[in-house]
Amino acid sequence: MEALAQFIVAGLKSGAIYALLALGFTIVYASTGAINFAQGEFFMLGGVIGVWLLSLGMPIPLAVLGAIVLTAAIGVVFEILAVRPIEGGDPLRIIMVTIGGSVLLRQLALHAFGPDELTFPAFTRGPSIRLLGAAIERQTVWIWGLTLLAVLALAAMYRYTGFGKAMRATSIRSEAARLVGIDAAGMVTASFGLSAALGAMAGLVVAPLTQTAFNVGSAIGLKGFAAAILGGLGNPVAAVGGGLILGVLESLTAGYIDPLYKDAVALVVLLLVLFIRPQGLFGGAAREKV
Amino acid sequence: MSSRALRWAVPAVVALLVAVLPLVIADRFLIKVFTFVGLNVIVAVGLGLLFGYAGQVSLGHAAFVGMGAYTSAYLTARLDWPWIVAFALSGAVAGLGGLVLAIPSLRLRGHYLAMATLGFGELMSLVFTEADPITGGVDGFTGIPFPSIMGFELRQPAGLYWLVWGVAAIAILVAANMVNFGPGRAMRSVHGSELGAVASGVDVTGVKVRVFVISATFAGLSGALYASVVGFISPSVFTLQSSVAYLAMAVIGGTASLAGPAVAATLLTLLEYTDALVPGLSRSAAQTIQEYQPDLYGLAIILVVLFAPGGLAALWRRRARGGESG
Repeated sequence: MEALAQFIVAGLKSGAIYALLALGFTIVYASTGAINFAQGEFFMLGGVIGVWLLSLGMPIPLAVLGAIVLTAAIGVVFEILAVRPIEGGDPLRIIMVTIGGSVLLRQLALHAFGPDELTFPAFTRGPSIRLLGAAIERQTVWIWGLTLLAVLALAAMYRYTGFGKAMRATSIRSEAARLVGIDAAGMVTASFGLSAALGAMAGLVVAPLTQTAFNVGSAIGLKGFAAAILGGLGNPVAAVGGGLILGVLESLTAGYIDPLYKDAVALVVLLLVLFIRPQGLFGGAAREKV
Repeated sequence: MSSRALRWAVPAVVALLVAVLPLVIADRFLIKVFTFVGLNVIVAVGLGLLFGYAGQVSLGHAAFVGMGAYTSAYLTARLDWPWIVAFALSGAVAGLGGLVLAIPSLRLRGHYLAMATLGFGELMSLVFTEADPITGGVDGFTGIPFPSIMGFELRQPAGLYWLVWGVAAIAILVAANMVNFGPGRAMRSVHGSELGAVASGVDVTGVKVRVFVISATFAGLSGALYASVVGFISPSVFTLQSSVAYLAMAVIGGTASLAGPAVAATLLTLLEYTDALVPGLSRSAAQTIQEYQPDLYGLAIILVVLFAPGGLAALWRRRARGGESG
């Protein structure tokens, strides 16, 4: 029983990280109809830029904030330079560009910050908290807290702010949104900035537990995508659900079967969902129509 | 010379040059480099079919290369099967993997196949690393015998070179045949207008699946050749980075062309071995080129997609047309 509680805590911890990445995929997918293959690199950038800002002497909160803002700026610049010029917003070409971009961002991080693993200190020091027999590290509380905050802030933004409504309108019908005076191209840029910020936050908040390096992006990106598609691509709530379920599945597999299979879980889930239920657990029919 | 004669003359001259290359080069390492070029041409031509004709993206072709390599290594080194049987089976195993992956994901729109192949590639990476008894794990698989055909073992660089380029030639012929006859027309119609193709009774999904299986088979055969040419394989060869390199070859090579991807594969592979090609090049300069090679792939994919979506092939097509009218 105690072991189970511990596994579930561990699962919800990584699940929250997957949820943040899945949200990033969902936001860009909603605005472009394309998958952003560079999403995992935003996660990586958050961590390595955070470590760099700390090394410049910044206090932790400022380094965290600075890394999120810088990564969001990189996301915005990337969109303006590489995605916006694509006429008609052809999803296949957007995907290609993000594949190239992900390689490029990873390489730039390698040249700038080196090949070694980097460590980021825990946000707050102190012993683990005990709950129902499970030990919960303080950093895990930060992960859950910040994920919850991000989800609530996103939900509020989509529902109540003009900006959020404009983004929703663009994702439903970009042409019509433009006709009523919404800057549709600007909304795509905003979606890249927003998903980059979410990715960076995920990368920062988990860095004290896992360390970070220039090459952590592609694996975590794939897991985030598995989470997004498990929930159902294009639905923020489902993305969060998919992330948490995937995290717990992984943790139970590692705990009860063999830690060796932990990394295979997300890949198997990804392929199974694509093959059996591409609309995801919580989605309606998404079969291609001709 | 008329453009019609040119269309036959150019490939014939290129084929002749490729065939006599080992006779004019004395440096054994250089012959090996051009053998690697041939291995990548095989993969790039298959991927060119997939990307340039069927409009699909794969980020997992290194996994098919790996499947072929490990299949052939295991069958020849551990089970002592005849090389030619192991070689054929390597292609079949990779092709079967391609079939299993393609059928479900090609019912859906383009980006699902890209993600499915990425996931598949990472999964196979795990298998190559963890299935120690078969693959040798992270340490790799050593002692893979040279290819032998009917009792005749090929161990000289020139012999291996001819074997690899022989397979490359067959792959190019098979692909050209697909492009110019029945399935090729269907493929081009898919690329032109998928809706129109469906309306005129083309089995779009069937065509895409067939192309994907062919490209996976080519990759598997290339892997089998790699294993027996080098004699050693390890999981670090068949990574996402290699898949991206293959994709870069297909994208830079261009759409609706087989020569484009083949030329791009040749140029990108040679770039990896600049130190062998340029005698005076310093060790550190060669190293810098290698370090920045992935940057180049990433940047090239972006630039081609943004500014020259047709790739190299479209550039020289345009030039040829301009020449004719002028």
